Amino acid sequence: MCRSAVRLALLCFILAPLCPQAQDFRIAGREIQVHGFASQGFIYTNDNNWLTMHTSQGSGAFTDFGVNISTQVTDNLRVGAQVYDRNLGDLGEWHPSVDWALADYRFKPWFGIRAGKVKTTLGLYNDTQDLDFLHTFVLLPQSIYPTDVRNASLSHLGVDVYGKFSLSHGLGDLLYTAYAGHRSDSLYDGYTYLATQYDVFYSRYGGLQYGGDLRWKTPLQGLLVGLSRMDQDLGGNGTFISPYNPTGGFVPYADASKGDSTNQFYAEYSRRKLQLDSEYRRFIHDDAINSGILLTATDIRGWYLSGTYRVATHLALGSYYSRYTIATGSGGPLAALFPAQTDTGLPANHVYDKVITARIDLKRFCYLKVEGHFMNGVGDSTFPDGFYPQVNPHGFKPETNALVLKTGVNF
Amino acid sequence: MNYSKTSLTLIGSILFWSLPVLAGDVKIVANLSITANSISPREIRSVFLAERNSLKEGSHVEPVFERSGLTHEIFLREFLRQNSESLQTYFGALVFTGKAAMPKSFDTDEEVLAYVIKTRGAIGYISPSASTEGAKVLAIVPEGGRSERTLVTRVEPEYPETLRQLHIGGTVRLQITISPQGRVETATVLGGNPILGDSAVRAVQQWIYAAASGRSVAVVTLAFDPD
Repeated sequence: MCRSAVRLALLCFILAPLCPQAQDFRIAGREIQVHGFASQGFIYTNDNNWLTMHTSQGSGAFTDFGVNISTQVTDNLRVGAQVYDRNLGDLGEWHPSVDWALADYRFKPWFGIRAGKVKTTLGLYNDTQDLDFLHTFVLLPQSIYPTDVRNASLSHLGVDVYGKFSLSHGLGDLLYTAYAGHRSDSLYDGYTYLATQYDVFYSRYGGLQYGGDLRWKTPLQGLLVGLSRMDQDLGGNGTFISPYNPTGGFVPYADASKGDSTNQFYAEYSRRKLQLDSEYRRFIHDDAINSGILLTATDIRGWYLSGTYRVATHLALGSYYSRYTIATGSGGPLAALFPAQTDTGLPANHVYDKVITARIDLKRFCYLKVEGHFMNGVGDSTFPDGFYPQVNPHGFKPETNALVLKTGVNF
Repeated sequence: MNYSKTSLTLIGSILFWSLPVLAGDVKIVANLSITANSISPREIRSVFLAERNSLKEGSHVEPVFERSGLTHEIFLREFLRQNSESLQTYFGALVFTGKAAMPKSFDTDEEVLAYVIKTRGAIGYISPSASTEGAKVLAIVPEGGRSERTLVTRVEPEYPETLRQLHIGGTVRLQITISPQGRVETATVLGGNPILGDSAVRAVQQWIYAAASGRSVAVVTLAFDPD
């Protein structure tokens, strides 16, 4: 733990004076922009290992970086791509991915098209959840933006249409996004990681993702409200050890969603140095495993209320309360192995998280964050929600306090 | 009586931020490729927040920012309703999700103007006293604007020496009536420090606009920077 903390502090002090500037250069008379970011975190928990890290001993396995390149091809056409890589405990494992790669053609302010791999617009922060330098908090409210299962909503290979309408009579602006595409999960994410506890090893997971977002910049200065809807038709393939024949070795495994929908409602109010956010999300996922030997139904609800205030040029303070509940049911021949869990008052079916944070901006593009989490509950062990049996072999305790540090740079 | 500079700056800041939010006192300068002669505050906001890349009349535009300074702060607050930190976050979110490019930004009025002059479609903002030679100055017309008048002669207001010594500044908003010949017939203070308002009225009454077919009403804002 001490070694990780010292490494983090050293990195912070080394990076601060080395903050790079954005790189712009020209090729064949065309300006190319290059931007990037990197961050290094450290987490210590008093009980329970969190986010697949061995946090009860202190863990610095919390690193990510990304680089993007883009250019304006014509007045209305822009192309670009970003590569992202991370290591979060047993997730990510330094397997880089194309975060987004798209062509964006804007016909009119009220109508544009993005095609390629596009970040999914869902709520206030889904598309920016990896961009630590944009946020006051190290970890966004995990009830809405679980970092261990970020793939579940992150991006799609497909097409978005978007635009903005200015309403008459001073009623503000309406911004819309509608999209359809294919979601393809990393095999180093929380969902596939959790499945290994049941000896299920995915070789592919993903499927159709479509939905939309509508947000209203109201006439009240600084107030934005919106709603998002996302539907998915997902499936996974791999191998597993059948409970019917445990000694028979690995056999093919397949699952398919029967229903997968997310509704999200949100509001943001910002006034000078103050920002208040609140979001509510309900996620419903019904699954059929191996043609129905197990049917699962999952109902996840989350909400949070957060506030941040920049008390000085180099210091911002923030706090949020995040509430996550999960209810599950099952059917089919193997249902007895997975009894229904519907009492969300139990620690095994919820995570309530009180958070305080401080962000110190060392220079314009370098920062250090210090954050405290005071959690009750560990969520359901059949669905990824931060606490995994694989790194908690002796079981869970109901309360977890966490100290989170993070530093990063961007250019 | 001796005041420390810190105290004076603090008083000035408090007075500045306690003023109502008004249209900014900046000049919008544009590359000569832009055919428009005026721009509305709403259009300014859309262009500089990368929500649109063309003006209503069709000209392609590329916004150019200043990095800091009073003109920059006034522009952000009054036109974009942002501060420097929130603007940085706003564009960071766009750039790192592939939704927009990072706009150009410069340290001085001269650098902004130089870039605007040489870059097709560039549009920027500079302080009212800065030179605009080589670029087009777009008139800022209120939404549903009653004024399409182009300012020909501008006289800067005198800064009351007492307020300057006390580092008291801010913005003053005036409603003016412009005759068909281009003279300012009336000037009424709508908001701001009354002493600065008197100075602003005296200056604006000497302004001359391009002639037009009829009388016009416009709202103008002047900034007083004690530094």
